[in-house]
Amino acid sequence: MSATAMPAGTAAAGTAAGTAAGRSRGRRALAVWVGVLLVIMAAGAVAFVHQYNTGLIVTGMRNTVMWGQYILFFMFFVGLSAGGLIVASAGRLFGVRAFRPITRLAVLEATVAVVLAAVFILPDLGRPERMLNIFLHANLTSPMIWDITIVIIYMAMSAFYVWLYARADLARRGSWLAFGTGTSERTMAREERVKGAMAWVALPAAIMLHSITAWIFGLQISRGFWYSSIMAPLFIASALVSGLGLVILLALVLRRLGRLHFGNDLVALLGGLLGTFIAVEGFLVLAEYLTASYPGAAEGDAFARMLVGPYAPLFWFEIGVGLLVPFVILAIRRLRLNPAWVAIAAGIGIVGIFVHRLNLVLNGLSYANIQLPPGLPIGTDQGGVSSFATRYWYVPTLVEWLIVVGVLAFGALLFTIAVIALPMQEPDAH
Amino acid sequence: MGDKVSPIAALSDASRAWGEIAERSEKPHWGMVVDQERCIGCWSCAIICKSENDLPLGMWWNRILTEGDALDQPIQVRGGALEMHWLPLACQHCENAPCVKVCPVQATYHRDDGLVMQDNDRCIGCRYCMIACPYGVRNFNWGAPSRPTAHETGMVASRPVGTVEKCTLCVHRLVEDQVPSCVWSCPTGARVFGDLNDPNGRAATLIREREGYELLEEAGTKPSVQYLPPRRRNEL
Repeated sequence: MSATAMPAGTAAAGTAAGTAAGRSRGRRALAVWVGVLLVIMAAGAVAFVHQYNTGLIVTGMRNTVMWGQYILFFMFFVGLSAGGLIVASAGRLFGVRAFRPITRLAVLEATVAVVLAAVFILPDLGRPERMLNIFLHANLTSPMIWDITIVIIYMAMSAFYVWLYARADLARRGSWLAFGTGTSERTMAREERVKGAMAWVALPAAIMLHSITAWIFGLQISRGFWYSSIMAPLFIASALVSGLGLVILLALVLRRLGRLHFGNDLVALLGGLLGTFIAVEGFLVLAEYLTASYPGAAEGDAFARMLVGPYAPLFWFEIGVGLLVPFVILAIRRLRLNPAWVAIAAGIGIVGIFVHRLNLVLNGLSYANIQLPPGLPIGTDQGGVSSFATRYWYVPTLVEWLIVVGVLAFGALLFTIAVIALPMQEPDAH
Repeated sequence: MGDKVSPIAALSDASRAWGEIAERSEKPHWGMVVDQERCIGCWSCAIICKSENDLPLGMWWNRILTEGDALDQPIQVRGGALEMHWLPLACQHCENAPCVKVCPVQATYHRDDGLVMQDNDRCIGCRYCMIACPYGVRNFNWGAPSRPTAHETGMVASRPVGTVEKCTLCVHRLVEDQVPSCVWSCPTGARVFGDLNDPNGRAATLIREREGYELLEEAGTKPSVQYLPPRRRNEL
């Protein structure tokens, strides 16, 4: 209960919250943190305005590789969101009481992540000011419309979920955020019923969210590397690894800051679950790549290119570092019982999933579909050099990085504000 | 994209007759036949496409691929003989068009006469159509157009930055009963434009008699552009 009893605004005060000096040090650290985030966001905004005025020519994308970093981060954050919410709602649905201390955190993480995913679509559009056409002229056969629909539903649902968990504490504080709801016995009983019902809605919604995102890619017969029925299951597995990984990291940070209380046994439990998710991810990756490579078809086949092409180091990183290392760490009981090792495994796991998705985008697009010379037009003036290419190595530009980092800073700010404003601890965890 | 004033009206009778659409049925489905036996890989059609449609540097709606590994190099076929063939490639105006299916805002759509069109005033520039197209014939306007001349060229207005564009089968010429520019300008007559709904029309007849094939047939896109395979000429 100590966390919920703490007045709002001292979130970052840390474990030294008791002393006045500690409080002021915490306030200063929070101010610096928010200041840094605002500066990064400003840089991202400047980069976005520059891109908007000049066109996407300032990115590394061209006709050959027409999707890049923005889409990559979009699907990565959809995954982070779905993973977090699946863990939270499955825990509730199957009565895993041990998960209770991190439920609110997981729901909040899912909400912030899906907001970021939606924001990442904006800089990818050539004409963001025409975005409303998505609603005015929606084409129901487009997986992108399916995805935007589920993102909006999911965003509303997870925001409500966050509020639902914080509601009673907010009401006790007398906060207006409780929207006039009380804490009478009847209200509390109803809240429990709604929470239970929400878990039933949230779990399939989270799974659909990420499946549909997978289908944006997996339904395209034009991209052999993506056109596979395993895409949706693989995306779910990736989501579970990265989402749970991020929840673990955030939980450990909030525990250090004194905003969340739970024992190391929960960390070990989550670590074991994460190890299982990594094993599932590895299994699906193996099943897909073995099926793709076994016929040993054309020498130009996307799988062979992935093993030896210029992006090969990324592939070997995905398998070697991204999957094997965290799995081994989490499989060893002694290491699993140590939160520091679980944090390391979670961090590597998240990076591994990111690289996995990077491989998916890059290897799906780097080679023109029809490999006949001179290839397809890059789309921009190459200054006297041929403007055709059968392959193209995409590298994001500074502008793309600034925009991405700016959006990430926005997410961090959103999360910070939410953690300060909302009670994070489930009341009966202790 | 608004049409410019068409100079087709100013053409001489002979020029008009040269580019006139020969036959059409009640309800035409426009298509094109590309004869690989006649194509000499000269790129005339690609160049006239650029000037007709005001394509800036780096952008091509129509291009000429060489069969094999190297540009304008022959390939050795079984038995050691050398052959050289080209594959002119532009929008295939598919009946089952993947781009039309995925466009979130219906900026890419079918006309009743089979043409796949692009509404550049509606396109949001998400480039999903470019992902979906198996032929790689769609171009994105990455930045302000870069031109070798100070002025625009061609018969149609240029397209705005941040939108996708592609071959329109010279729809601005169709309304004047004229074939696309790549067709009349081909020095070897390798392109035949016509109404695929007319079974006795020249295009449909050629497809039937010369065993015309669809590019990437396995993708199931049902293109309105078909290719006539080159027949071996043993005497050469």
